[in-house]
Amino acid sequence: MPKISKKSAVKFNVISHLAVIAGLAVLPFIIENPYYLGITNLILIYTILCMGLNLILGYTGLLSLGHAAFYGLGGYATAILMTRYGFSFLPALIISGLLALIFGMLLGVPTRKVRGDYFCLLTIAFGEIFRLVAQAWIPFTGGAMGIVGIPIPRIFSWTIRSETDFYYLGLILVVFTYLSLVLLTASRFGRAFVAIREDELAASVMGINTPAYKILAFSIGSFYAGLAGSYLAVYQTTITPSSFRLDESCLMIIMVIVGGMGSLLAPISGVIIMTLATEAFRSLADYRMLIIGVIMVTVLLFRPQGLFGTAAFKD
Amino acid sequence: MFLLETRQLMKHFGGIMAVNEISLSIEKGEILGMIGPNGSGKSTFVNLLTGIYTPDKGQTIFKNQDITTLPVHRITEIGIARTFQNLRVFQNISVMTNILIGRHAQIHNSLWEVYLRPLSAWKREKAAREKALEFLELAHLTDRRDELAKNLPYGEQRLLEICRALASEPELLLLDEPCAGMNPVEMDTLAEFIQRIKASGTTIFIIEHNMRFIMAVAERIVVLNMGKKFKEGSPLEIQSDRGVQSIYLGEEEDV
Ligand SMILES: Nc1ncnc2c1ncn2[C@@H]1O[C@H](COP(=O)(O)OP(=O)(O)OP(=O)(O)O)[C@@H](O)[C@H]1O
Ligand SMILES: [Mg+2]
Repeated sequence: MPKISKKSAVKFNVISHLAVIAGLAVLPFIIENPYYLGITNLILIYTILCMGLNLILGYTGLLSLGHAAFYGLGGYATAILMTRYGFSFLPALIISGLLALIFGMLLGVPTRKVRGDYFCLLTIAFGEIFRLVAQAWIPFTGGAMGIVGIPIPRIFSWTIRSETDFYYLGLILVVFTYLSLVLLTASRFGRAFVAIREDELAASVMGINTPAYKILAFSIGSFYAGLAGSYLAVYQTTITPSSFRLDESCLMIIMVIVGGMGSLLAPISGVIIMTLATEAFRSLADYRMLIIGVIMVTVLLFRPQGLFGTAAFKD
Repeated sequence: MFLLETRQLMKHFGGIMAVNEISLSIEKGEILGMIGPNGSGKSTFVNLLTGIYTPDKGQTIFKNQDITTLPVHRITEIGIARTFQNLRVFQNISVMTNILIGRHAQIHNSLWEVYLRPLSAWKREKAAREKALEFLELAHLTDRRDELAKNLPYGEQRLLEICRALASEPELLLLDEPCAGMNPVEMDTLAEFIQRIKASGTTIFIIEHNMRFIMAVAERIVVLNMGKKFKEGSPLEIQSDRGVQSIYLGEEEDV
């Protein structure tokens, strides 16, 4: 078998990375149309969410159906901090991520030793409790009407106002998410997550404190959802509980599964397909979930590991 | 000097006394064998030593430390590694990564270093990879490092599982029926491998059904029967022992 020399492989790698970066940097000038740019920004949000979820689901094998709640935590945290307490965007963003991380830990501690299916049920319960609290605690969250008039975000002297501005903010967050996950998954921590997914007992015999690592994966994955929520708050300038329902969590899981679990970039393909599909069938509101389901089943019939995935659901 | 000692270790499942007051010691540097009919409690005994089960009664002492109630990962950290009777390599992961996971307890990067000092974390990773290659070399698996574990032939998967255990640099290695499913050629490779592990200073405890193998490899043998320690002695003594022959013959008459 002819082997490509290591040097030229590295060169190719560098060039293809640069090409992707250049393409992403000029994308708003190619798309221009604000409607399509809006969809692109939605794709960026779901990319952050699904990369985080992939750490939990694809790497560690934990089925979390509460991802939308952590997304919502970040959204409400930013909305409340910026409208009521005069926080500027950057600190609100960081606090939103950390809050989701802390709630991930709080939920992770009692569920660290329960079996997978119970963990899944508990995350559903958490998601529902979050949504009910958001709806009922009117003085704090604005109830079903939510919080409106979230100020225009500024980072130092950069005012983020147009779709293009939000595109670049989203892109920065996606790049941050990706790079930080590269560092994590290439370390002994990332390997420990994968070991837990493959065989939890064997993982513990390797010296991995499996309950602690499950909490870690779950809270770090939730951290990114908090960031995405913060972005959503300033992007929409309003935040309502209906954005964080259970079907939103399901949609993210479907995106990860369709794109492929267990490799960092694979979920992006699922995000793009599913976001475009939901947009295309927006007029068929009632049948949207049906169409999404059909797409998922079709993909999984032909590729059980998802489009670009390395890990399939265990049998 | 003993490296590990059990004192009246006991474990029952419902009405079954799987391990019934077993006291034995493993000497530093030796290869201790354990045999016994099916269901005599051998695997349960190893599960008790490694913290997978907690004994109902009794104690385990390792390097003068009571490890009876330590969690599984702590026991690995202080120097006991093991393989499983029913082979538990990480199937969908490369051979190299299997070894690196086995080395988890020896790679000391903290989360802080992973994120904020990636260069020094990466250097430790690189060192870990080089070390992992040494273990693969021991079992002649270096060429296989990039393959998924499930694509290896069965015998090599068994060797990989031993390498993965060795990667944590244990003082005591527990092997639960390493020969199961191997052909005679693979068994010879394994026997030679075990001798090399011993030569590197690791103490070894082997459970094995294959008499020819265990008699050739072990220096001392413990026989279990129905959860109890039945006999202990050199391979020659065990081989010629009437009682031992009768429990095995009894088993064959049952079949
Ligand atoms: N988790 C468990 N739950 C219930 N019973 C168990 C459990 N593990 C082992 N046993 C029982 O305990 C007894 C000892 O089993 P063990 O697996 O230790 O035997 P063994 O000597 O390893 O046998 P083999 O040679 O077949 O591997 C058996 O009767 C078995 O059925
Ligand atoms: Mg057994």
